Amino acid sequence: MESMSRTRAAGVAVALVAVVGLVLTGCSQRSNDGAPDNGQSAIGFPETQLQPPVPGKPGGTFRFALVEPTAIDPYNAQESEGVLVTHNLFTELVSVDANGKVSPAAANSWTPNGDCSQWTFDLKQGTTFHNGEPVDAAAFKRGWERAAAKSAASDVAYHMNEIQGFDAMQTGTANALAGVNAGNPGQLVVTLARADCEFYLRTYQTVFSPVPTTAGAADNQSYNDQPIGNGPFMMDGPWQHNRGIRLKRFESYTAGPKANLDAVEITIVPGGQGAVQAEYDGFVNGTFDWARLPTPLLTRARSSYEPRGEWLSKKTNGINYLLPMVTTVPLNNVPARQAVSLAINRAAISQGVFQGSATPADSFVPPVFPEAYQPGVCTVCSYDPQRAKQLAQQAGLTPGSTINFQFNTGGGHEEWTAAVAQELKDNLGLNVNYNGVPFVDLLKNEQAPGASGLFRSAWSADYPTPGNYLQPLLSTAAIGTTDPSRPVTGDNRGRYSNPAFDQLLAQAAATKDDAARTKLYQQAEQIAIGQDLAEIPLWFRQAYRLADTQQFGNVNLDFSENPTLAQITVK
Amino acid sequence: MGTFILRRGVQAVLVLLVATLVIFLATFALGDPFASTGEKVVPPQVQAINRAKFGLDKPLPIQYLTYLGNLVHLDFGIDFDQRRQVSSMLAETLPNTIRLALVAILIDVLIGVVAGVIAAVKRYSFWDVLVTVLSTLAIGIPTFVIGIVLVGFVSGSWIFPVVPRSFTVQVPWYQEVLLPAFTLAIIDAAFIARLMRGSMLEVLRSDYIRTARAKGLSERTVIGKHAMRNSMIPVVTYVGISLGILLGGAIITETIFQYNGIGYLLARAIQNSNVPVIIAVVVVSVLIFVLLSLVVDILYAFLDPRIRLD
Repeated sequence: MESMSRTRAAGVAVALVAVVGLVLTGCSQRSNDGAPDNGQSAIGFPETQLQPPVPGKPGGTFRFALVEPTAIDPYNAQESEGVLVTHNLFTELVSVDANGKVSPAAANSWTPNGDCSQWTFDLKQGTTFHNGEPVDAAAFKRGWERAAAKSAASDVAYHMNEIQGFDAMQTGTANALAGVNAGNPGQLVVTLARADCEFYLRTYQTVFSPVPTTAGAADNQSYNDQPIGNGPFMMDGPWQHNRGIRLKRFESYTAGPKANLDAVEITIVPGGQGAVQAEYDGFVNGTFDWARLPTPLLTRARSSYEPRGEWLSKKTNGINYLLPMVTTVPLNNVPARQAVSLAINRAAISQGVFQGSATPADSFVPPVFPEAYQPGVCTVCSYDPQRAKQLAQQAGLTPGSTINFQFNTGGGHEEWTAAVAQELKDNLGLNVNYNGVPFVDLLKNEQAPGASGLFRSAWSADYPTPGNYLQPLLSTAAIGTTDPSRPVTGDNRGRYSNPAFDQLLAQAAATKDDAARTKLYQQAEQIAIGQDLAEIPLWFRQAYRLADTQQFGNVNLDFSENPTLAQITVK
Repeated sequence: MGTFILRRGVQAVLVLLVATLVIFLATFALGDPFASTGEKVVPPQVQAINRAKFGLDKPLPIQYLTYLGNLVHLDFGIDFDQRRQVSSMLAETLPNTIRLALVAILIDVLIGVVAGVIAAVKRYSFWDVLVTVLSTLAIGIPTFVIGIVLVGFVSGSWIFPVVPRSFTVQVPWYQEVLLPAFTLAIIDAAFIARLMRGSMLEVLRSDYIRTARAKGLSERTVIGKHAMRNSMIPVVTYVGISLGILLGGAIITETIFQYNGIGYLLARAIQNSNVPVIIAVVVVSVLIFVLLSLVVDILYAFLDPRIRLD
């Protein structure tokens, strides 16, 4: 209890500071007050151009820092740090470029059958693992089964849950994936228990990597620490826990263009808030060639590094939003949710809290998917306190009514959530029950039956498809329960449910043509966001990095916000 | 002596049993280690498989007894996060902590004893006042402040390595250990100086010192041999406890300097509710502490022949 109230007190203190900041910076924004802005104002740092491709000169060692990953073995690589290393050690069937475009990698091509329930991947011939073993269909089957086995207790094997026989492996009743056929070494045939015309996108996940026979079971600790893969880089000695990981170029790489860098040195820094600062300090003192930046330093760093071309800025796969509980009072009707959205001055908060770096969102599927992005599909993502008041009145969200608003502490969300809470008070006269709790509790509170109000949320897609924003967060199936008195078990914690939306998603999953599928996703977003406002979009995710472009060419952010190591050249 | 050690051995086992039980129960306050902690919910099946893998689906008494059974074979199990052998994590970090603790103790005994003796022998002189003022200051400043200041202003200059630095930059161990050791030593040196001064003053007033002087021994022999040895007893007690604490891992200092010892290991384990690591570090610290207090008791008898162990 004590810690709870202390957290609250800290939240209030931060809130005060933030509000003062807002008032101060808000002065310059005065003229905007009352006038609807289109959400696409000049707020938000522009994206930088991709570093132009430089003719590849091999050599060089690229150095950066990471927090100690959970695993770099594909069976359990999970957070961005582990996935970064694993993606460079392993080449999966497909690859995804910086803009989410899928291209062939270990597979030359992939073909679904008529109803997308069976997929045939034609593998590239003659590619090998770092130890010379051939990469064939059996190597993929081996890797997938190694991760799906019950004894592996993998945290990420669930990505395979569409494959026939996966459930039997997870319960321990089978020791092979019935749906994966490796009879022909050059062809991997996958049968799905649940048809999915986007299944191939999933195979970019590192858990779908092939492994050589020497890998053994998932608990083989020497392989865990020094995985032998088929990727552009290989381990140069085992992972030195809490110290570093060194990779070197795989000279016989044929699954794609060979890497140019001689080596990659990854120094491990302590986690938590200090990690970003350590990366930045290391970049400044010349220890690292790549770094993230602490938010308070963004403006200063941009002004000194952008002129030198060492500043990278890219809209990436992610959206920050408020999760409304759409089945309980007071947000169980559309006008109430629209009123909340219109009462938030995204541009002013971006200016006041994020130094203008956050780009206000006007859709839920972010612009990182250019074909699917619908600017302005959220018609109420602008700031219009007058209309907000009218809608609130109409919805019965009258001044003095109480609304819950929770966020998780320790994630840097204190300031902007405080600003949002203050705007709901100022513009709608609401009594905001504003509360910071640890992340685990936030999730529990969102899942709980009867949860009401607003929760801070963010999302990024596992698979490069707009569907991965819509299906897990907004489909009826993703609630995981039909009983309102039971907790939610899926990711649709707002309990939004609309048959028309579900119908469109089902149609999309059964549509082979990319363009036609994208159209269906757009229609689905028009319903869930445009019409129902089942999530309240706030800011698009944007990543900023410093990179030593004096020394290295082709340094860019990939789809997962990691450096494009395999393409980097020396100048 | 034999029965003394035997008695202490039995006590140690009891302490260990109580400590493991308490820490075992306490770790449950950390909550479910496999609950979702990211934006995406961990599917319930995945949580169940993990619980089964780590035996958390069994009743608590069974879990505890299993743990004790494994402990007898020095098997600390595998950790929840990276699924590595906890014993190999200890093997990586414990030598670093021992090194840090020994260097820190060496520094603080050297500074503390010398300063204390000078202050006592030259009572009320400028040096005495200086020692008093400096030791008050050293006790007053929190360790983390000293650590952060040293990282900020001293790291990277002269022989002291930069924080953070690339892991491929090889640094001799003594260069890496000096600053954190000094950070830890400052407060202990201050306490030791005060203890030494007080106890030295008391001993200097005692009869046998007067006898020694009356025998015509030089002042150097009186102070260095007769007075020093007896006035060391409170210092030895303090150093024993202090070493025990340091060997249990200096959580804050190791974290500030990113020094790969068991204190830093524990800090990270607590952050991710990594129970097997937390318990293992506690068990090791308790073991070391019990062992050290035994050594200290034996030292008493050596320093002061009037003390009998049995």
